[in-house]
Amino acid sequence: MIDIRFAIPADYDALVKLEKEIFEDQAWSASTMVADLEALHTDYLVAFNGSELVGYAGLASPAGSFQADINTIAVSKPQRKSGLGSELMQRLIELATRGGAEEMFLDVRADNLGAIELYKKFGFEQIDTRKAYYQPERVDALVMRKAIDQPLVLGIETSCDETGVGIVKGNRLLSNALNSSMEIHARYGGVVPEVAARAHLEALQPTIDTALSEAGIKLEDIDAIAVTNGPGLAGALMVGIGAAKGLAAAIEKPLYAVNHLVGHVGADILERGSLQTPSIALLVSGGHTSLLLVNDLLDNVELLGETIDDAAGEAFDKVARILGLPYPGGPEIDKAALGGNPDAIRFPRGLSLPKDMAEHKYDFSFSGLKTAVARYVEKAEDNGEEINVSDVAASFREAVVDVLVTKALKACEEYGVPRLILGGGVTANARLRELATQKCSQAGIELRIPRFSLCTDNGAMIASLGAQLVMAGREPSGNRFGAESTMEVSKVQSL
Amino acid sequence: MVSGKKGSWTLILAIDTTSGSSAAVVNLGEVLGFSVFDDPFGHAENIGQAIESAMSEAKVTGSEIEAVAISRGPASYTGLRVGMAAGLAFATAREIPLLGVVSLDAVASVHGAGFTEENWLVTSDAKRGEQFVGIYSGLNDVGLAIREEQLQVMKPEDLENAFGSLPRISEPCDARAVGVYAEKAAAAGIKLDDLSALYLRSPDVTPSSKKRVSG
Repeated sequence: MIDIRFAIPADYDALVKLEKEIFEDQAWSASTMVADLEALHTDYLVAFNGSELVGYAGLASPAGSFQADINTIAVSKPQRKSGLGSELMQRLIELATRGGAEEMFLDVRADNLGAIELYKKFGFEQIDTRKAYYQPERVDALVMRKAIDQPLVLGIETSCDETGVGIVKGNRLLSNALNSSMEIHARYGGVVPEVAARAHLEALQPTIDTALSEAGIKLEDIDAIAVTNGPGLAGALMVGIGAAKGLAAAIEKPLYAVNHLVGHVGADILERGSLQTPSIALLVSGGHTSLLLVNDLLDNVELLGETIDDAAGEAFDKVARILGLPYPGGPEIDKAALGGNPDAIRFPRGLSLPKDMAEHKYDFSFSGLKTAVARYVEKAEDNGEEINVSDVAASFREAVVDVLVTKALKACEEYGVPRLILGGGVTANARLRELATQKCSQAGIELRIPRFSLCTDNGAMIASLGAQLVMAGREPSGNRFGAESTMEVSKVQSL
Repeated sequence: MVSGKKGSWTLILAIDTTSGSSAAVVNLGEVLGFSVFDDPFGHAENIGQAIESAMSEAKVTGSEIEAVAISRGPASYTGLRVGMAAGLAFATAREIPLLGVVSLDAVASVHGAGFTEENWLVTSDAKRGEQFVGIYSGLNDVGLAIREEQLQVMKPEDLENAFGSLPRISEPCDARAVGVYAEKAAAAGIKLDDLSALYLRSPDVTPSSKKRVSG
C-alpha cells in the first residue's frame, strides 16, 4: 500500500538519498534539493511504501502566474511500472488545477519515450525543444505543455444592500457588476431590510446582464453558479437564492451555496491569483467586524473574535449622525477628520482593558464608544459650547482604527502568522489603511488589501469561492438549501 | 425533439410563490407537469426543486422552455420575491420572454366561470390583519377575468362594509393558474410586460430621529 502526502522536513534526508539513487551523477545536490523543497512557490509530494520512500514529485507554481511547472517526478527502481509515476502525475495535475494554474509545463529527455507517452496520455503536448539540454550526452529536452480548463463560475451576492454578480474563470476575475441601494437607505440612516430586498429584485436582471457583457460570455457557457446564503439579511439573501436556483434550473448546472464572510477572505485570490495561508483576516463593514484565522480557505477558517454589539461601519454611521453628517458615515467622518487632532479627545477603546483579555481578547465593541461621543457632544451643547467637529471625528476614528489594528496584529503575533488580509467596506477608510500599513510594516507582517471593488460586498468574491470549491472537487450544494442569516464562519458551504 | 410539447405553440414554465412554492409546465391549456410545496416559509428552500420536478414530470429540460410566467402577487413580500427572482433569472439565462401575472387575476380566471353575478371578489391574506382585494366582472372572450379597479389592501371591516354582499373567492394561487393565464393572455395578444412585484404598501419604515443618550 503506497501512501502519498506532502513532504515534511523529516523526509529531506530520504529525498536526497533517493534522488542520488535514481539520477546518479545527474542528481541534484543536497543543498539544491532542500532549497527547492523549502521554496515558497513549490509543493513536493512524497510516496511511501511503509517506511520506505519510493517516489516523489515537485511542482512549482508562483502566486499569480497562472502557470505550474513540474520540477521532477521520480520513482525508485523497484517501483517502476507499478503505476506510481502516473499516480504522482495525477496528483500534481490536481494540485496545479486547485492552485489556479491555467497551464502546466515540463521538460523531458527526448530519448525517454516511455515518459513522453505517459505525459501525452495526461494531455501534455510538445511545444518546444531545448537542443542538447542534457549534458554530457547532449540529449535534447522536449518542453511539453498541458492546458487546464478552469471552471467558469457566476456568483450572486445579495446579503445586504449591494446586488453583486461576478464571473471568474478559476482564479481569474472576468467581471464584477454591482448595483447598490445605499442611496435609498441614506434617508433612513441605515440599511432597511425590506428596502434592500425590494432593490435586489429590481437590480437582479441589469446586474446579471452587466456581468455577462463585461465578461463577454453567455450564461450557457457557465460551469457552475455560486450564491451567498448567509450570513446576512434573510429577505435579501432569499432574492439571490431564488435567482441562483432559477439560473441553475435553466442551464442545468451545479449550484454552490457559500458563506459571505469566507467569500470576503477569498477575494484576495482574484487580486494575486492565489491565497497565501495561514493568514489573519480582519473583515470590517457596516454589518460585520470579524477577526479570522484562515489556515485553509475551504477547510479551516476559525473565528477568533467579532463585535459583540455594533459593527465598525455601523459605528461610523451612527457617529456621523450625531455629528450631523450624512449617511454613509465612513467617508464623511474621513472628510471631517481631515486636519483634526486624533489625540484631542481620549475616547474609550472597547474591550481593550486587561480584564477584557480573558473572554474578549479578539472581540470588538463599538457601542460604548458611540455613546461616549454622543455624551461628549450633548455636554458641549448643554454648556452652549461649540464642538470642534474635526477633532471629534479624528478622535473617534482613531479609537475605532486603533482597536481594529491592535487586535489584528496581536492575533498575527500570537498565532505566528506573518500575513494580514483586510476586507469589507470599512477598508476604504483612509486612517485604517494608513495605520494598518504602518503597524504591519513595523512588525514585518505582509498586509493585503484587495482593490476596493473586491473589498466591499461583491459577486466576484462569491464566484471565486464557488470556483475554489469546484477546483477542489467538492460536491455541489443541491437545490434545497435556504438562507442562514446567522451562518457561522466555520461553515464554508451549505450542503 | 420536444417530448412533452404538443403543437407549435409556446412551452411555458410558470412559477408562483404567493402562498406555497409551485411550478408548472403548461402547453395548449394543458398542465404537463406540476409541483408544489405547501410550506408557507420554505420558498427559498423549495423553489429549485419545484421547478425541476415540474419540468421532469413534463419530460422537458430547461433548454426546451420557451417562456416563463411569474406570479407578481400581491402576496407576502419575502416569499413572493423568491419565485419572481427564480423566474426572472431563468428567463434571463435562456433569453426567453418573461410574462408577469397578477396572482388574483389568475385565481379569478380559474374560478370566475362559476359566477352569474355582475361582480365578485378575489381576496388573499395581506398579513397585519388585512386582505389583498381584486374586484372582477365576468370573463372576456378568451376566458380571462376582467378586473374592475385597482387592487387594494383592506381591513376586514372595510371589506365587509364595501363589498360584503359580493361573492368572494379566497383560494390560493398556484403556478398552474399562472401558466394557463399567461398562455391565454399571450394567445389573445394581451401584453404581460409589467414585471414589478405588487407590494401595494410602502416599506414599513420611517426616517429615524436623534435620541439623547445622557439624562
